[in-house]
Amino acid sequence: MNKKTFTSPSDDIILNLKVLAEEKESARKKLVVTAAKLAATAKKLAATAAKLAVVAEERESVRQKLVITAEEKESVRRKLVVTATQLAVVAEEKESVRRKLVVTAKNLEISHKTLEAKVLERTKSLEVVRAKEGAILLSIGDGLIATDQNGKIILINETAERLLGKKKEEVIGKNYSEIILLADEKGTPVRPEDHPVNLALTRGTKTTGTTYYNMRKDDSIFPVSITVTPVVLGGKVVGTIKVFRDITYEREIDKAKTEFVSLASHQLRTPLSTVNWYAEMLLEGDVGELNSKQRNYLDEVYRSNRRMVELVNALLDVSSLELGTFVIEPMSTDICKLARNVIHEQKPQIEARKIQFRFSCYKEKSMMRADPKLLRMVMQNLLSNSVKYTPIGGKVALSITLADKKHIQIEVSDTGYGIPRKQHGKIFTKLFRADNVREKDTDGTGLGLYIVKSVVEQSGGKIWFESPHENRGTSFYVTLPIRGVTENQR
Amino acid sequence: MKDKQTILIIEDEKSLRGALVDILRLKDFAPIEARNGKEGLRMALSKHPQLILLDLIMPEMDGMTTLKKIREDSWGKDVPIIILTNLSATNDQAVTDALTHTSTYFLIKSDWKLRDIVNKIEEILGN
Repeated sequence: MNKKTFTSPSDDIILNLKVLAEEKESARKKLVVTAAKLAATAKKLAATAAKLAVVAEERESVRQKLVITAEEKESVRRKLVVTATQLAVVAEEKESVRRKLVVTAKNLEISHKTLEAKVLERTKSLEVVRAKEGAILLSIGDGLIATDQNGKIILINETAERLLGKKKEEVIGKNYSEIILLADEKGTPVRPEDHPVNLALTRGTKTTGTTYYNMRKDDSIFPVSITVTPVVLGGKVVGTIKVFRDITYEREIDKAKTEFVSLASHQLRTPLSTVNWYAEMLLEGDVGELNSKQRNYLDEVYRSNRRMVELVNALLDVSSLELGTFVIEPMSTDICKLARNVIHEQKPQIEARKIQFRFSCYKEKSMMRADPKLLRMVMQNLLSNSVKYTPIGGKVALSITLADKKHIQIEVSDTGYGIPRKQHGKIFTKLFRADNVREKDTDGTGLGLYIVKSVVEQSGGKIWFESPHENRGTSFYVTLPIRGVTENQR
Repeated sequence: MKDKQTILIIEDEKSLRGALVDILRLKDFAPIEARNGKEGLRMALSKHPQLILLDLIMPEMDGMTTLKKIREDSWGKDVPIIILTNLSATNDQAVTDALTHTSTYFLIKSDWKLRDIVNKIEEILGN
């Protein structure tokens, strides 16, 4: 309001107006302040608003980020879900496999148990077999000693312990030469290099023999039959095995047999000798002349008795041959000279039957290793057969030739009665006599060819014959090794 | 007339001894008899015969022992002895050993005639 317009009002009014103006000024001033304050506040607000805007922006950004993260999370979650599903499948599969495995495991367990049972069973039966084998080896009736390749003893059975008088404990691991003491019949120890175990180890040779004597601990000896064999594995000698047997008893039996034959021969021959000698004196007229009838009768007695003597001799030869007590003593023998002797002895018979006899020998002084006694027996038998079984005036030939470098051949052939074809197989049989000669000559024993064959074969030779037709003769052939027969010491 | 040669017959079998005595007497020998080895040994050493016929299997003392004992004697070591037996000699080592002695002979009775024995005796004694 403007004050000049209102100049004459009273003073009060002027004063009032003044106060009012003043109040208005104060209010204005207060308003200015307030405005300023408001402005400041507005500024502050504006600043705050700006700050809020930034925060909001940040928030938005964070939110946006969060959204992205969430998306990513979602994607991961989805992936996780997929994986989980897959895992579930895998887990199921696993479970199935596991179940199968459980079943398999159970089956395996069952199989294992069965197997174990079977193995146990087999082991047991193997053990039984082994034990049995062991027992068989150990309780074998013959002595048994095995060594390794160094000659160390690795096995000895009960019989061997008993025979040697030594315990297993003192023997196992020792060298054979300390334990298996061998000696010959005179008690001389066998040389170490000739010991059969040594021969088996060094040369792989097998030794079989009956003349070795095992020496006991106390040095007493007993006869043994032994076989020492190398144990060969993959072509190498890995040890030896020795089987031996006490043959004292067999030796005694052999001796008893020999003694029996001797005694029997003595007993049988004594009465025959008596008849022989007295008949001989009667026939010779030593105690007075006999009339012709008496002479004839006595002649029969005498001849029969001679036959009996021959039969006994042949039987003794046979039993000797069969008992193996026939001693073969080979020596350097002139076979042609021996043949001449045999022929000479049979001259009376050859001449009596008017036989045309021929003898040939491949060379003079034809030496061979043979037992002359046996060789003589062979030729004697063959020649006397030929002479006996050839008709009067027939031919007989004895020839000695070389069959080959190592063998001599004796051939005795005749133009005699021959051997019936169907009896060829029996001609060497003991006591067999062919039908055709039995009628003609009653004297034969049927033992001659049997003895000849035995002698020839025991001498390492061969005998055979040819007799194509009856009454067309026979040829006997014998071949014998020139270097000799095997010596036997029994 | 020269003295008859004494032949000692050592033989346990009476019949065989008898035959030998008879033939030897007939052939002009002077046989003396012994019935076993023991008796034979005594007679051999006391009578010193020119020759002895000796059996092997005999009671009291067998022939091989008798032979050995006779051979141990200074007179007996050279006396001719004919072992006259029926044993086969082939497997008796003792007989083989005995035969290596030059004045020991071996005859198998059943194979030999009395006359052959006499011939052998005469041959040995160089008659």
